[in-house]
Amino acid sequence: MKLAMFSKHVSDLSSAYWHNELAPTQSRRVAEHLIGCSRCRVEFEEVKLGARFAEQLALVSAPDSLWPAIAAGLNVETAPARRLQFLKPLAIAAALVLLIGGGLYLLLPRRVDQQSGWQVARLGGAPRIGSESVNNKSRLGVGQWLETDANSRAKLEVANIGNVEIDPNTRVRLLQTSNSEHRLELARGRLSARISAPPKLFFVNTPSGVAEDLGCAYTLEVDDAGNSLLHVTAGWVSMQLNGRESAVPAGAACATRTGFGPGTPYFEDASETFRKALTKVDFDAGSVAAAKGAALGTVLAEARPRDAMTLWYVLSRVEPSDRPGVYARLAFLVPPPKGTSREGLLSLDREMLDRWREEIDKSRGLNSFGSLQITWRRIWTGTVGKVNGPQGKR
Amino acid sequence: MLMLEQIVATRGQPVSNESIDWRVIARCQQGDRDALRALFESYKDRVYSIAMYSLGGDEQLASDVTQQVFIKLMTRIGQFRGDSEFATWLYRLVVNTCRDEQRKQRRWVPLADSALVTTTVKQTQAAQYATKELARQVQHALGELKPKLRWPLLLRYVEGLSYEEIGKVLGCSKGTVASRLNRGHSALSRKLGHLRGQLGPE
Repeated sequence: MKLAMFSKHVSDLSSAYWHNELAPTQSRRVAEHLIGCSRCRVEFEEVKLGARFAEQLALVSAPDSLWPAIAAGLNVETAPARRLQFLKPLAIAAALVLLIGGGLYLLLPRRVDQQSGWQVARLGGAPRIGSESVNNKSRLGVGQWLETDANSRAKLEVANIGNVEIDPNTRVRLLQTSNSEHRLELARGRLSARISAPPKLFFVNTPSGVAEDLGCAYTLEVDDAGNSLLHVTAGWVSMQLNGRESAVPAGAACATRTGFGPGTPYFEDASETFRKALTKVDFDAGSVAAAKGAALGTVLAEARPRDAMTLWYVLSRVEPSDRPGVYARLAFLVPPPKGTSREGLLSLDREMLDRWREEIDKSRGLNSFGSLQITWRRIWTGTVGKVNGPQGKR
Repeated sequence: MLMLEQIVATRGQPVSNESIDWRVIARCQQGDRDALRALFESYKDRVYSIAMYSLGGDEQLASDVTQQVFIKLMTRIGQFRGDSEFATWLYRLVVNTCRDEQRKQRRWVPLADSALVTTTVKQTQAAQYATKELARQVQHALGELKPKLRWPLLLRYVEGLSYEEIGKVLGCSKGTVASRLNRGHSALSRKLGHLRGQLGPE
């Protein structure tokens, strides 16, 4: 290594000498100089001591939760770019195709994309795709309905990312399947999904909300009125509608109602009293304020430390006048972390709420959703647009 | 050259520049998520460590920056033409992302206790405490250095880069790297000299 030539002293080369980064001749000259120069020797010892301290800097293990957040970020990051790349060269052609094709589309019978569909297996009875019975070679194409009667069940292979079991008396339709999104519609009945893929790749539309997979296993059922109930058995699922969002962890459930969207997630081992009162708080719009206040009181009284997640949602969904009570109970169960204030949390400061949520997740031994959510929000708001928080208006 | 599966199998272990299979990088350039996952597994601890040390030990911030780095990696790897080592290109991305974050944060805070590094060497409880305390002091002293002195130290001691590689990452000459390391070492020595007795034998 050729560094600046030294005339007399060599202290500038101490680190390079210590790290063996000098050419052999230079190294030898430094060594010879150090023998005879006490000043440079003192400075060399100082550098050497600093180097020994610096050697204490060890590698830190990255948390396991990073990859799902990166995969989710990539989904958001790449989607618009791909769309733009696709649109630029084809813009004019696409406009023409839309103009001509649009007219033809209205005149011709609707074609179904079967090649890009999903493989279907019969698990029992006689499930049907349209008017045809499911056999060993059946595929569910985009736009097609799969229906099971009281005695039949079926299994869908979701591209290469997982599968969905369709229970009896269920009606589902494949809405989209592509590298960036797979989407089913569940009109009624019940399905069980097991997905091994990055978050935000698999969605199920229901009449009262959209279930967004965050890397998980869950069951989702829809009744004849379009109301749904989600049970998560692994990972996280987000239920959303019109900007209102509930992120549901494993062991928890979340109901949705037509016209309301997702309710507040709760752990399924919560007391029945708690769950019934929560349903009133969430969906009983017709009840008088006193009855709703009583239901809220029951939720707060019955809440265990494990139910802090539920109260975190309740805080931002109740009327402002009810927030202090919810805050007090939640703060008792899981104290707000440093950097937050009562005033900020009562005014639903987004950042403070996120910090508290992380604290709540940590208290339950979870650390995944808070950081994921914050990261997604940052990426999303920086690229595509604003994502509404979980306190979205009814 | 390592294949993708081998790289995945060596997760968490340092991978030298030479051992990165160029096919993995090529697959990343084609948008292959599995290939990115392989690079992630190989480099995640190094990237996270740099972010952690350079951002005052803020775990959340370090996680965010690590995520940003790998998202940027995937979106920008098409620009990587192989005229430098992949690791050099990656570390440049890491340093720039950390610098951007520092500018946003406008702060340099002492390391949080939660950020303390634990060694894998088996030690008694007392020895572990002493090691941890010394590491905390070093990290704190590092945090007080000017960025231009801190970065060469991080790249040398956390990433194990040569002076030439550090120069390429930071965009300066080897002589400048040597000079800044010299000043950085001296500064650490002056700040931590009273802890000399806690260092093991040379």
